[in-house]
This record gives sequence, C-alpha cells and structure tokens, in this order.
Amino acid sequence: MSELRAVHHGYPLPDGRRRSVLQGIDLRLEKGGFYVMLGRSGCGKSTLLRLMAGLEKPDHGTFEHSGDSVGVVFQEPRLMPWLTVAQNAGFLLQSRLSQAEIEARVELALQTVGLSDVRDAWPNQLSGGMAQRVAIARALVGRPSLLLMDEPFGALDAFTRKQMQDDLVRIWCKLHQTIVFVTHDLEEAVRLGQTVLVIDEGRFSLRLDLDAPYPRSGAESAVNHVRERLLNQLFT
Amino acid sequence: MSGNCPAPATRKFIMRVFLSSVFFISVLIVWFAVSQFGWVNPFLLPSPQRVWSTFQTLLGNGKLAQHVGVSLGRVAAGYIIAVFLSLIVSLAMVTWKGFARVLDPPLEFLRQIPPLALMPLLMLWLGIGETQKIGIIILACFFPIFLSFRGGFAQVDPKLLDVGRAAGFGRLELMRRIAIPAALPAIFVGLRVGLGYGWRALVGAELIASAAGLGYMILDAQDLARTDIVLVGVLVIGVIGLLADTGLKMLVRWRFPWLRQEMEMPRV
Repeated sequence: MSELRAVHHGYPLPDGRRRSVLQGIDLRLEKGGFYVMLGRSGCGKSTLLRLMAGLEKPDHGTFEHSGDSVGVVFQEPRLMPWLTVAQNAGFLLQSRLSQAEIEARVELALQTVGLSDVRDAWPNQLSGGMAQRVAIARALVGRPSLLLMDEPFGALDAFTRKQMQDDLVRIWCKLHQTIVFVTHDLEEAVRLGQTVLVIDEGRFSLRLDLDAPYPRSGAESAVNHVRERLLNQLFT
Repeated sequence: MSGNCPAPATRKFIMRVFLSSVFFISVLIVWFAVSQFGWVNPFLLPSPQRVWSTFQTLLGNGKLAQHVGVSLGRVAAGYIIAVFLSLIVSLAMVTWKGFARVLDPPLEFLRQIPPLALMPLLMLWLGIGETQKIGIIILACFFPIFLSFRGGFAQVDPKLLDVGRAAGFGRLELMRRIAIPAALPAIFVGLRVGLGYGWRALVGAELIASAAGLGYMILDAQDLARTDIVLVGVLVIGVIGLLADTGLKMLVRWRFPWLRQEMEMPRV
C-alpha cells in the first residue's frame, strides 16, 4: 500500500515568490489498483508523480510506499541511445542482479511488451510506440509493486495510442501492480482507470470509481456515466 | 552480367575511398605539373620525385623511423596525460560546483595564452629535456579535450539522469552509467580535435634543444635549406595525424557503433 499525506509543493518564481502547485494532496493507493490522474496542463499531476518517484521532495507532507520498488515510465521513452533494446530494458537492474537473472527478466519483459524480435535494435531504429514499449519493459523488469506513468502515450498517434492502452491493460491484468497513470486525455482516463482522480488547482476535485470490464467500449453505460461526470467537472 | 558487378557495399566503399583521395591526387598532379614545367624555383618547391627519393633515403637509413618514434612518443605521452587531466578536472568541476567556481577563471585565463608563449617559462621551470616538450603538447591538447569533456557533461539530458534517479542511482552510478556515456559524442569530437592540436604543437615543442623528432628534423632541414626534407617531415606528420584520426574513428565504429553519426565535426 502507498499513501500520500497532506502533500504541498511549489516552485520558486524568478521574482523570488513561490508558486504553489500542490495544495494538500491526500491519497491512499490500494494494492493492485489502476489509478488515473486527470487534469489540465499545469494542474500539478506530473509534479505529484515526480514526488512519488522520489525525483523531488515535497515542501510539506509525505509519501509512503510499503512495496519493494517503484517503476517509472515518463512521457518520452528516455532510452539510453548507447544501449540496445535488451540492454535498455535491463538497464536499471545491472549491478543489482546476476547476468543470468537479468537476461531472464529482460526476455520476459520484452515478451510481455511484444518486442522480443527487436532485442538487438538501437533506440534510433524504433518507432515512437516501440520505444515507449521498451520504456515500459524497463520499468517492468524491476518487478515494481507501484508503476508510475506520466502521460506515457501523449506523443503517440491515435492508432498506436489505442494499441498501447490495450497492451497496458493486458499487462496490468497479468501482473497486477498498482498503477498511477497521469493523463490530460479524458477518453484515455475512462478507458484505463479503475479510479479516476481529477486534479484542479493542486487538489483532487473529484474521485470516481469505474467498475467496468476491459477492454472498455465508449458505449457502456458505466463508462458513459463517468465520462459525463468528468466532462461536467472539467468544463463547467 | 550482375555477377561481374561489385556488391553495392563494395561499390560504396570504392566510391568513398576515391572521393577521399580526389583532393590528394589533384594536389599531386598540380605539384607534378608545376615542378615539371619549372613554374616555381625547385629550391622553394622540389619535385614530388625528389621528395619521394628523399623519403626513401631517410627511410632506408633509419633516420625517419627514429624521428617518427621520438615524436610519436612525445605526442602520445602529452596526449594521454592531457586526456587524463581533462577527465579528472572536468569530473571534479561537474561534481563540485564550488570547485568549478574556483577553477573556472584561472583555466579560462590560461586558455587564452598560446602554449608556445609559455615555452620560455616552461624551459626555466622544467628544463630543456623531455618534460618541457611533453608539457607544451599537454598544454596544446588539454583545452580542446577538457572543453569537450565539460561541454559533454553539461549537455547530458537531465531527463536521462531522472531515469537513474528514479531508480535510486547514487551520484557515482549516475556519472558512470548515464553522464559519461551520454557525454561521449562531445568527448570523442574533443579527443579528435585535441589529437590534431598535439601534432600541431610538436614542431614548437621540438624547437629548442632537440636532437630528434619530426619537428627537429623539419627545423634542422630549414637551417640547411633542404626543402625536400621539410616537405617529407610535413607530409609524414600529416599522414600520421590522418592515420591516428582514422584509427580513432574506427575504434569508435567498432566499440561504440551508436556514435557513428555523432562523430562528425559539425556536432561541435
């Protein structure tokens, strides 16, 4: 289980003042849940993810995670250009596990994301979707109990994005890590999330639980209902 | 029919070698014509045949090999020390900002001074032996290499560093596994430029109190008005420099295949 308690955070402005981004975030993440954080650009959702990833320390409040490790998938693949696909996938494990164990985990992760056949390719030989899959594989090989994803499909075309969303749901159904997925795309939020949290002005302004089976079609009443409520929240 | 044609890769290679040689062949033809028709005094520009003959003589009596060996040793020693110093200083400056603030002004001050201008001081401090000569080469090589190290580290994408930080990498692991590999494109360009600077400083380094070395051979030939030996020395330095640069590029292609595109000078 992971928990955010009364998290406040801000950034210094050039004039010396501090711009408050997060203003009292409380959230308890149940094990194996798929949480989607939805909000406009600049609302603080990526900042919240950076705090959970340990890339920044909150001004006030705490984030506690009782699991073993946290995996992060960023908006861009951020692959190391000097490593092949397989080496990138195993990058975060090196010097922590034996080579045989790394090989086995990398093979499994590449199979999971459907990239076994390009294991020796270089990052600049991959499409955007393939590169992002490698990034997901890299996050999965550490077998994290919490997977943080910061708009990972934001830069992909509509077809690849849909494919990646389906792949992610498939992976989650198989591995059942807790996922926190940040997006500004309402359709993506209702397609993926078990729990959708709307962030507005540094606070959660709405929380909706969505108990609809995967893969979700837009025509389902539960999905439609959540979509309507999110639209009302975001555009009124 | 197609069986007689070279494979596309071979054709491409032949074409590349031909294009790389066009300039040298053209210069040789013009040089040959100029000396053949007597357009330039042979004292100022001896014919290619004369230079070739002198080259063979120097090669035959072992003098050229001796001079090349001495110069190679000096350039190699100066270059290796400059690379080592650049790595240490740049890593320290990247790691400790305070160190960078202290060292930046004196290094920038020193960078503006041509290494040859420091030669009298180096002679007084280091004597007129090998140390002074290698010192000149170190000074000439150091700054392009050091600046490439610093530039390379400064340009490391912080987003790549975040990948390591999020996985709990410590400072050393971030440096070793992300910053140094990410800085390699800039570093390799600096290594190439620095190697060239080393050879360029050689003649100056061997200007005073030398008894061997290509720089010495050139200056000695100048005193004896042996333009043919001067040209042999110049051409040999050029060829060795070219071979060293090609060797460095081949090493990169072999050991760092992903860097092939990054090795070109415009990346600077």
